[in-house]
Amino acid sequence: MSGATVTDVPKSHGERYDDATHARGPEITQKSINDDVMRLITRPGPLWWAIFLLDLLILTIGLLAERNQIVHGVGVAGHTRPVMWASYVANFVFWVGIAHCGTLVSAILFLFRSHFRRAVYRIAEAMTVFGVLTAGLFPIIHLGRPWFAYWLFPYPNQRQLWPNFRSPLEWDVFAVSTYLTVSSIFFLVGIIPDAAAARDRVKNPYLKLVMTIFSFGWTGSNNQWKHFYGAYLYFAAIATPLVLSVHSVVSWDFAMSQVPGWHSTIFAPYFVAGAIFSGVAMVINLIIPIRAGFKLHHIVTMDHLEKLSKLVLLTGTIVTYSYLCEFFLAWYGPSSYERDLFWWRATGHFSWAFWIMFGCNAGVPLLLWFKQVRTNVPLLFVLCLFVNVGMYFERFVIIITSLARPFEPMSWDVNYRMSWTEGAVLAGSFAWFFMFFLIFVRLLPAFSIAEIKETLPPPLRRKPS
Amino acid sequence: MIAALGRQIDKLLAGKPGKHQGVMGVFYYVDDAASAVKAAREQGHKNLTVFSPVPHHDIERANEQGPSLVRWITFTGGVLGITGGFALCIYSVMSWPIVVGGKELISLPPFVVIGYESMILLAGLANLLGMLALGRLPQIGLRAPYDPRFSEDRIGIWVPCSGQASEKVRELLRGHGAEEVNVHA
Repeated sequence: MSGATVTDVPKSHGERYDDATHARGPEITQKSINDDVMRLITRPGPLWWAIFLLDLLILTIGLLAERNQIVHGVGVAGHTRPVMWASYVANFVFWVGIAHCGTLVSAILFLFRSHFRRAVYRIAEAMTVFGVLTAGLFPIIHLGRPWFAYWLFPYPNQRQLWPNFRSPLEWDVFAVSTYLTVSSIFFLVGIIPDAAAARDRVKNPYLKLVMTIFSFGWTGSNNQWKHFYGAYLYFAAIATPLVLSVHSVVSWDFAMSQVPGWHSTIFAPYFVAGAIFSGVAMVINLIIPIRAGFKLHHIVTMDHLEKLSKLVLLTGTIVTYSYLCEFFLAWYGPSSYERDLFWWRATGHFSWAFWIMFGCNAGVPLLLWFKQVRTNVPLLFVLCLFVNVGMYFERFVIIITSLARPFEPMSWDVNYRMSWTEGAVLAGSFAWFFMFFLIFVRLLPAFSIAEIKETLPPPLRRKPS
Repeated sequence: MIAALGRQIDKLLAGKPGKHQGVMGVFYYVDDAASAVKAAREQGHKNLTVFSPVPHHDIERANEQGPSLVRWITFTGGVLGITGGFALCIYSVMSWPIVVGGKELISLPPFVVIGYESMILLAGLANLLGMLALGRLPQIGLRAPYDPRFSEDRIGIWVPCSGQASEKVRELLRGHGAEEVNVHA
């Protein structure tokens, strides 16, 4: 069990916790964990409503832009030769990447018995599900005729036409839809015992009905626990190779082509590391306001934040290594097109985007080598925002610079710039994600009551032998 | 209107009180509950149910619980998934055979991705269905009296019995440190 979970507690509930002094407080009990998590599921205050309405306003703007695009065609998004895959595909890769952290925290760390995951995994899993729901929109949004999106799926039809299963784009359909299904199941199964705990406590009949549905009639009997943990282990076991495969498959959308800057075997591990890098940073960005807003410093301790920030540091160094490797391979390899492209990335028209990417992903995370930075909550929050900005620009740089600099010099006339439609749809995607997240935080247990209880020593009458 | 609907929901969720025969002991300490389970089993009460907010290995051992069979259901789902994924790809190229780029019709390397993802998808779905079926979820009617304290910090041991046996079980549970013992006749 994580010692910090029990010891790093505020002096009393509601009192401002001092991260610097790690003040000790009263003992955490199983009952107090129920009380603390249930504090989130209360009638939302004016601040929540203000944020939620602002979120809906931004979403409406995004939907209006999308409506405009459906009516007038993708031309309004400014997509033109040679950059036909522009920010929509970058958004897709960004959101799939964000979605990767949840499964890392809930599945991979579960298999490694890293107990610090218990306090943060529910939020990471929710982020995963909502991230995939957001990512899944973009392959549809960037279609010329989005109402035919179902053609991507194999289904029996009278012409016996099937999708091309040799195409990485079809692999993507299988990978992302499998990921959405498995991560949603994993998320909802984990909620069952906690929804039962909430069902037994809430007074509001409507909320009680929601909790009853999500708890599946759970009673915590020995038979239910046995099969729950039996299944949970196998969910973790199958979700681990899944999470590694999904972003590998996403990377093969690019790497399987001959385009300079894309055709590289390093892409799969490079994308997976980048996905976890941005995903963990996003978890930190989400969890810090919730921790502060609901005064949950004793549940999400400094120790948890520090361990997450070490994950950011680790994956950040892998991403930096990949950047350097790409340049080395371009310089050392036989392709002059590759050399030219990489030189242009760093010095050409889009060099500003390249240096934002490199600075935010390779430079800024190096500050996490210092404990003072890892344990400074506001600084950690800002640093993780930089990481997410950097990771967005990574996808922008990979997709747009490679397309803008193809083999034929006649196509090198750079004519891509982000249109207001693309900007509005991007903002709308953030609003779409946060709409789900804001509802989740107030409707379902955002922290795993059962798993946090497992970190406490079991109550024993006799001393343990 | 909203309040009236709320009352109807409350009424619906409360349900009818179940008819149960047996003894329910409520425990706080895990070691007390584990020893009570062991003693009850030694008395011949093998069909008991333990409710707890978190699983406890001591109680599982005392109850002689084996591993869950859900893994075999998951495995079956995985095998069906990988077979189905490859079969779909092979069927699709054989039903409309067009050679593209001089590649083999049945190109196994790219089909591995579809087979692999299908394996995980069906293994996940089978795992879920296995857990629900074996754990008897969703559970509408209660098979034993349930107390909301069991989702907080108390452990409940339900021993189905009747008549004179109930008295013996009551004494046994109380003797092993039960905070509260209720006989349901």
